[in-house]
Amino acid sequence: MLDYVIIGGGVVGTLIARELSKYEVSILLLEKENDIGNHATLANSAIIHSGHDPKPGSLKAQLCVRGNTMYETLAKELKIPLIFSGAFVVARDQEEVDTLDLLYQRALHNGVKEVALLDADEAQNREGNLADGVLKVLDLPTTKVTYPWEVAIAALENALLNGAQFKTNAKVTKISPVNDHFIVEINQQEEIEARYVINAAGVYADELASFVEDDLPYRITPRRGEYFVLDKKVKGFVERVLYPVPSDKGKGVLVVPQVHGNILLGPTSEFQDAKENRDNHSDHLNWIRRDSEKLAKNIPFDQIIRTFSGLRATSTYHDFYIQPAKKHPQFIHVAGIDSPGLTAAPAIAEYVVKTLLNRDQRLPKKTDFNPNRVKKKPFYESHFEEKLQLFKEDHRHGHIVCKCERVTEAEVVAAIHSPVASPTIKGIKKRVRAGSGLCQGGYCENTIVKIIARELNIPISEVDYYEKETPILWKETKVKR
Amino acid sequence: MSVKSMICIVCPVGCHVSIDDNHTVTGNRCKRGETYAIKEVTNPTRMITSTVKIKSNLTTRLSVKTSEPIAKTLIFEVMDALNSVEMQAPVSTDDVVIKNVLDTGIDILATRTILE
Amino acid sequence: MERNEGETMNVDIVVIGGGASGLAAALSAKDETNSVIVLEREHVLGGILNQCIHNGFGLHVFREELTGPEYASRFIEKFHAENIDYKLDTTVLSINKPDDCFIVEAYNNEDGALTIHAKAVILSSGCYERTRGQIKLPGARVAGIMPAGSAQRYLNIDGYLAGKDVFILGSGDIGLIMARRMTLEGAKVHGVAELMPYSNGLTRNIVQCLHDFDIPLYLSHTVTDIKGTKRLEEITIQEVDENYQPIAGTEKKFSVDTLLLSVGLVPDTMVFESMDLTLSPITKGAIVDHTYQSNIPGIFACGNALHVHDLVDWVTIESEKAGASAKRYVAGEIKEERNNLTIEPREGIRYTVPQSIDMNNFKEPVTVMFRVTNKYDVGTFTVKQGDTIIQQKKARFIAPAEMESLMIKPEQLIDQTTPITIELEVK
Repeated sequence: MLDYVIIGGGVVGTLIARELSKYEVSILLLEKENDIGNHATLANSAIIHSGHDPKPGSLKAQLCVRGNTMYETLAKELKIPLIFSGAFVVARDQEEVDTLDLLYQRALHNGVKEVALLDADEAQNREGNLADGVLKVLDLPTTKVTYPWEVAIAALENALLNGAQFKTNAKVTKISPVNDHFIVEINQQEEIEARYVINAAGVYADELASFVEDDLPYRITPRRGEYFVLDKKVKGFVERVLYPVPSDKGKGVLVVPQVHGNILLGPTSEFQDAKENRDNHSDHLNWIRRDSEKLAKNIPFDQIIRTFSGLRATSTYHDFYIQPAKKHPQFIHVAGIDSPGLTAAPAIAEYVVKTLLNRDQRLPKKTDFNPNRVKKKPFYESHFEEKLQLFKEDHRHGHIVCKCERVTEAEVVAAIHSPVASPTIKGIKKRVRAGSGLCQGGYCENTIVKIIARELNIPISEVDYYEKETPILWKETKVKR
Repeated sequence: MSVKSMICIVCPVGCHVSIDDNHTVTGNRCKRGETYAIKEVTNPTRMITSTVKIKSNLTTRLSVKTSEPIAKTLIFEVMDALNSVEMQAPVSTDDVVIKNVLDTGIDILATRTILE
Repeated sequence: MERNEGETMNVDIVVIGGGASGLAAALSAKDETNSVIVLEREHVLGGILNQCIHNGFGLHVFREELTGPEYASRFIEKFHAENIDYKLDTTVLSINKPDDCFIVEAYNNEDGALTIHAKAVILSSGCYERTRGQIKLPGARVAGIMPAGSAQRYLNIDGYLAGKDVFILGSGDIGLIMARRMTLEGAKVHGVAELMPYSNGLTRNIVQCLHDFDIPLYLSHTVTDIKGTKRLEEITIQEVDENYQPIAGTEKKFSVDTLLLSVGLVPDTMVFESMDLTLSPITKGAIVDHTYQSNIPGIFACGNALHVHDLVDWVTIESEKAGASAKRYVAGEIKEERNNLTIEPREGIRYTVPQSIDMNNFKEPVTVMFRVTNKYDVGTFTVKQGDTIIQQKKARFIAPAEMESLMIKPEQLIDQTTPITIELEVK
């Protein structure tokens, strides 16, 4: 019998696993995909919000502000990229200026430190490509930007180091409450017993909840967001995250500097029924173009290298729903985690463990918990001397596989065999950035496919693009069948 | 009487020419178009370029071509013939891969030098 | 700690890339007095020609029709005969010029880091394929969407077919050639869609790659939706209006597992990220004068790294000139002080290469290559300085896909300062 089963390997599930691994308990994280961090964690704005936006008194406000303050330590311990970009909320007419003044009050009320209102000249001085016609700006220096899926990978790696376990390709198909525990069925085959079940299943949270709740307290209504990515060549185009004044539709289209120098434009916001649809639509992309120009001028649209879209697990509850199930309190809902979910994630983990699971402080603390993740400095970040050292350790550091992002064969091989590995084209891209650059894998994909095939001892036609059964090639030619 | 239409590819003009059963050609702007059209209905030929398997440290396929244009109707038969060949490096450009393929008098030649 | 210093070398000229362009440039740059090294990232010389196994190469340079690998072989043999230095499996990561010489930082798994001090650098690193993201192709993100050149490499070098039921977006020559290649190897190619009202490929390829195999070509069409859960399952194409916007009601659906993108090539100038290399917004390659020298003295560019060519023969001819200029540059025969007279594309002309003539070094006639903006049966190219016509040339079958050229001689110029313009007149 396990103590805790966590369902869902996004930032929330993995950070809960890490938080629980501070205690002498058994933990198993289940992920239905062949990799963790594949949904909302993979496709979002990457922002660590200050907390100016959530409604005062909401769990979102509380956990967003708390999460923001936790990221600096988290980044140090887990070696995740974090830039202290700051942010401007941009008001363009009198109505927006009025809202901005309210937001200023709201930020203070929510406990955001260092918040200020700036006039247009001052804002323009600090952010050269700020759009013309801006009247007033809310300055949020505590806003940061991270690399979301590395947060999940790092958190899980660290949880594993501290004794947690995980399983990918493990879809929970049934949860049966029995007496003081649950039987969790995986892939309609395997059964696992656990005393507690933590539901961090993102857009599927309501489906899982229906196994233990008679009246579902929430429904997940996925909201799709589409984005443009600009090449890292544009680094420095803006220093800060630029937000419009939020409306009833959400935060709106943003301009976001990314940790590796790219700029993100987006997201759109559209409710949909399907839980897997991550399409892009031409008219929505036009909408991003139009709206982003209200925030910044001279946007180099010719530097767009990619479009993507993701789903936010918005719920009908209108706040994070983090509570024990009514009839079965050992089932914990961690649901409706849409924006600011990434920001709040470490605070959500803390809240779930300290406030819900260990309120009575009965869980025994691990004396040898190691908060630090071991991570090799990437080749692209290394100085010349460090590169020489890397080469001495492994000559495959001399083979640059991806020249856009400067990734070496040694790094690809290490990613294939890493503790939280997913040896697919996309799994490698998520871990070492090969294929994230200007040519989008046009050059390196061929080499990476061959390295994966070699390391796994499979033909290249069996190497998957992302999910299971997504080979990029059909068959070998000239083979008698 | 049937009429076949085609685009002449002898020069960049690209005349849309028609040819009937009596080999009367129309639409061509020069004599070469007539010759082309008649050849296309009597004995159309094509160069075939493809690959065969090769045992080598560098690659798994060797590029090859027909030594001269071959009857268009034989294209897929030639492709089948190529499937049964496996070369061993070293191979040099112009080495014969298949002699007298399908009894046409035409050879399949290597188009690349692969030494190791 | 024992420190591996990596290898440091001094050479006169570094050539980045050992494909058609780099080989030709190196061959003409090398003489008895200078040292030249070619850095090639692949395990073999020849570049993209190795995967272009079809024929049609060499009609201008060799007066015969060769396949890509054969064309490459001729230069590789010459190159080896001249004993020019080269390094394979070697990737250049950066180029800087802290003082009087360039420092080229390259890596391979034998030498580790390679630091090369050079007087001149020739950029002949070819181009990369435009991607789904760059053309903002809508729809689902599924496996089975691939640039045509990538599919060509998997097929011709590795021996793997990308898919069974294939559709191709873009009717440039790579798209057409791949339609035939995939068909020959057993795939079914359901069609080729082209955004423009005409194909950007050679008529010969339309006939021999599409008509021969009854593959339909949809002109003025583009892909407007992509469906599938894991692998591509269905695409929708739609006719477009004169502004290239999809026309409602013209949707056609195809059940395919593979979509190849043949939607353009972009010069690869990435190694110059840390230097102020001026790029043309049209060609995306360097802006050069008639010696193929960029705005940075000592940096020369040629081949597809400069602008995308339709025929390798032109790559060879251009790269030989760039190589010869680099040779003269290191020999001190090109005056450092430059006096550039610009060549400006006007009505009907998209761009020219070179973009200027350096009057301080202008003694021989200069070939100006250019592309037009639209397709015409007949037209006249007029070269002017101000209102003065200095040259006119009639041309037939003008198309954006086909590079045009004309020659400007020193004695034709009326002065040293009035910019040269080129325009196209059509009836």
